[in-house]
Amino acid sequence: MNRETIKHILRGIIFLIVQVLILKRISSGNHWIWHYSDIFIYPIIILLLPIRMTRHYVIMFGFVLGLAIDMFYDMAGVHAFALTAMAYARGIVLSYMEPRGGYQLTMSPTRHSMGINWLLVYTSVCLAVHLFLYFTAEIFTFVYIGKILLKTLLTFVFSMMAIMGYHLLFNPRK
Amino acid sequence: MNNLLLFIFRYSAFLLFVLLEIVALILIVRYNEDQRAIFLNSSTVFTGKLYKMADKAYKYGHLQTTADSLASENAKLKAEVFNMERTFQHMSGKEKPLDSCILEPFKIISASIINNSINERNNHFTLDRGTNDGIRNGMGVISPHGIAGIVEESNGQYATAISVLHSAARISASIKRNNFFGSLVWKATNPEYMILEAIPRQADILIGDTIITSGYSFIYPRGIYIGTVHRFWTEGGSNYYTVEVKLQEDIARLDRVYVVVYNEANPMIQ
Repeated sequence: MNRETIKHILRGIIFLIVQVLILKRISSGNHWIWHYSDIFIYPIIILLLPIRMTRHYVIMFGFVLGLAIDMFYDMAGVHAFALTAMAYARGIVLSYMEPRGGYQLTMSPTRHSMGINWLLVYTSVCLAVHLFLYFTAEIFTFVYIGKILLKTLLTFVFSMMAIMGYHLLFNPRK
Repeated sequence: MNNLLLFIFRYSAFLLFVLLEIVALILIVRYNEDQRAIFLNSSTVFTGKLYKMADKAYKYGHLQTTADSLASENAKLKAEVFNMERTFQHMSGKEKPLDSCILEPFKIISASIINNSINERNNHFTLDRGTNDGIRNGMGVISPHGIAGIVEESNGQYATAISVLHSAARISASIKRNNFFGSLVWKATNPEYMILEAIPRQADILIGDTIITSGYSFIYPRGIYIGTVHRFWTEGGSNYYTVEVKLQEDIARLDRVYVVVYNEANPMIQ
């Protein structure tokens, strides 16, 4: 356990708490918009893991984190399903977006290290995969495809605002 | 054999992904069948504690409103008790029921909601009371202005309940004016309205009619005010009305609730 690991764990716990104690409260308000959307910041925990971390660990970690979120949302497996898929998709997205010469040891998936354009594409693709699968698994039928897409779109906007807000405000290096 | 090992090694990340996805899918499907895996819910001690801590902080800001609403409810109950006493007072000695004759089938446990949801397909809430306080699965939860849900899972200190805004919740409700009854379900995305099904066509319904609990189950006592008729129609060719009921209780702002213990539901408790 070096300092970096501990820092990642602490930051992950803070994101988890923000998600279930603050964002969950906000998105269970009674305004009509919350009937069709949610705010998810917790995918950022997976997105911020070091680029060179072994894919197996990322996938397993995604599954465990998803189950933890499920406990707080009174569901079983829905977040785990979506987050495992996102963790797998992250590997593919990373390999597509690899800069010429490969990833350096010092690189990490942040604005500071990769630039805002790279970060925007990376975050939005992963998040879109996550949200679409989440709402598909929640509603569990493609009959309501319109509703799934509407929920995905609205939640995408809010979650993107939360995640990019974190990147812009705190500008993490690692 | 060598090729197989090579294949497994080459695609091990993908295989792991598929395996975990299958586990997640099994969880989802199981959850749909029997509502939830037993340990994955917010009545577990850890998540319960965390929610309770956060809830204390949130509720601090609403103390005034909560106190006001409890006080007004108290006043209403007091008035009811005094009226009852007065009614008995006018009865002659013969008619007057003895204290021991008054039935006491119901017991009420007050509880506080520490976690609530309204925007999911199936909504739940968590209570800060559990089996230690006498709460058992299947008891009804009522709120100051209506009904809230049914206890589904309880452990020592906490209990989770399915909200009335849940696809599995079916509440026996009737129209107060003429006693036609049906079952109240939640279908739409709007948490302010529920649907009262299976009201026969000969019933005369008016917009604004009062809907109360029918008392035809062991969950809720009779006569709890649920809401009013907002609109009603017949589905093509059906012999029954579908009635949209506007709930009086704002489920999104539930705070103090009461759990109804109905002793006659289980004679062993008496």
